[in-house]
Amino acid sequence: MSESKFETMSSCVDNYQPNDAAFDEIFDEISKDGHLSDTWGRYHLMGDIIRNDIPETLQFDLSAQIAAAIDNEPTILAPKVSPVKSSSFVKELKGRVIQFAKPFGQLAIAASAAGIMVLGVQQTNIANNESALPLQIIQTNPFGGIAEPVSFNFQQADRKSQKQAYIQQQRRFQALLSDHHQQIKLNSTTADNKETASPEEGENLHK
Amino acid sequence: MRKLIVLLLLSITTSAIATENEQATSWLQKLSLSLKQLNFNTSFVVVKNNQAEPYHWFHGINEGGEELEIISLLNGPRRDVLRKGSIVSYIEPELPPYSIATKQISGPIPTVFRGDMSSISSSYDFVSVGRSRVLGRPAQLIRIVSKDQHRFGYWLWLDQESSLLLKFALITRTGQLLEQVQFTHLEITKHLSENLKQLETAELPQISEVPKSFQENDMAWRVGWLPNGFKRIKANRHRISSTKQPVEFMLFSDGLVNVSVYINNSADKQRAVEYVMDGATVVLNQVNKGFEVSVVGKIPSKTAKAIADSIVLLAKSNNQ
Repeated sequence: MSESKFETMSSCVDNYQPNDAAFDEIFDEISKDGHLSDTWGRYHLMGDIIRNDIPETLQFDLSAQIAAAIDNEPTILAPKVSPVKSSSFVKELKGRVIQFAKPFGQLAIAASAAGIMVLGVQQTNIANNESALPLQIIQTNPFGGIAEPVSFNFQQADRKSQKQAYIQQQRRFQALLSDHHQQIKLNSTTADNKETASPEEGENLHK
Repeated sequence: MRKLIVLLLLSITTSAIATENEQATSWLQKLSLSLKQLNFNTSFVVVKNNQAEPYHWFHGINEGGEELEIISLLNGPRRDVLRKGSIVSYIEPELPPYSIATKQISGPIPTVFRGDMSSISSSYDFVSVGRSRVLGRPAQLIRIVSKDQHRFGYWLWLDQESSLLLKFALITRTGQLLEQVQFTHLEITKHLSENLKQLETAELPQISEVPKSFQENDMAWRVGWLPNGFKRIKANRHRISSTKQPVEFMLFSDGLVNVSVYINNSADKQRAVEYVMDGATVVLNQVNKGFEVSVVGKIPSKTAKAIADSIVLLAKSNNQ
């Protein structure tokens, strides 16, 4: 493999045709010589890289390698499956096993489902305890969005006040929600026996 | 001839619907009876906001014919509700234990389930849908469907044998699931369970007096619009326990769902409407011209907004 061969090839890659005879010759050689054809490919790749012309992912042709690998794989001779003589006894046994196993299986499923539930609940509880706000049960969906701060300088202060506003909002919601439940509990009285005691003065209802 | 056939078909379908409704009503009546008369011991899980809250529920009748009931939350700090006949005691972490003279427990199970369901038939239709399997038992699915779009619907899966609850869910009109209560265990017994026997001898906290409700004209405001069937149950002035904020308050109910409306002076002049959903319960809050209005209840947010916007302040509004 002479230096000149590579040079001719390189000029071919670069669309730089020396003379037709040498050109034909080199193509002949490339198609016969594996090493040369690899070099041909490599030159093109280099060219592409230099021109910044490569695709996002390079796809080298793996099929040849995979084919070779498959050829090298030892053949596994699987034993032929012979049909089992299924006597009525076996069938009966199977049926019994299924019958026997079924209720236990169901119980096991129920137990595991309960286990998952308990586990899940415990995990969410832990998550709640860790957070500073005891108000995480509520998920907010503001009607209008909050404008994103643009300037870097304003970002800090804005974030902080946003967060505070959020905390206040959550507190308000939590307070209302628990008061609503409380009022319903206290209300049950009036629903059953209409007459209740002492008229109320001012604004204190319950503790 | 053809007209006759159409008429015939129509009458058949309407009668089919009618019998479906009758079936649903009779199922709900049986549910109410079972909740009042059976000795049962059951567990259920309330699933909402990706969280599950497990409860234990005991119910029974003692020899004197008095109802005994315990509902306890099993996770976190203790929250128990005890009932002995017509006294209900709440044991909660926020408040010292207290009792109220009532027969209804306010908790995860709507009180109307054990009451007279026909009282809500002006606002809801009852439909018997079909059978399925829940909690390993054959179940009957009954839907409580709102007659208008201002409310959610309830789907109930009842035990075919005892008519007790096996599961129920709160579902929007578009079929979105908001909250569900799945029973995980159900045992119907002949005799009182041990816990209820203990409750029988236990001494409940003293009955606290509930202040009398205000009359309509005591308030300097009124709610202009509510969905059909909602009635005012009570009104008062009180302070919200956690924030100490004084509020004027009205509670409305359509028999199944409770809606609270709060109004108070606010430091802010104007604040856009904000709302959150806790399962099916919406909490809406807005400030308009220095008055803060809040609406809380298991209703769609659109309904809550309409209620909040319908509030009319009367002339003598500056006495607070």
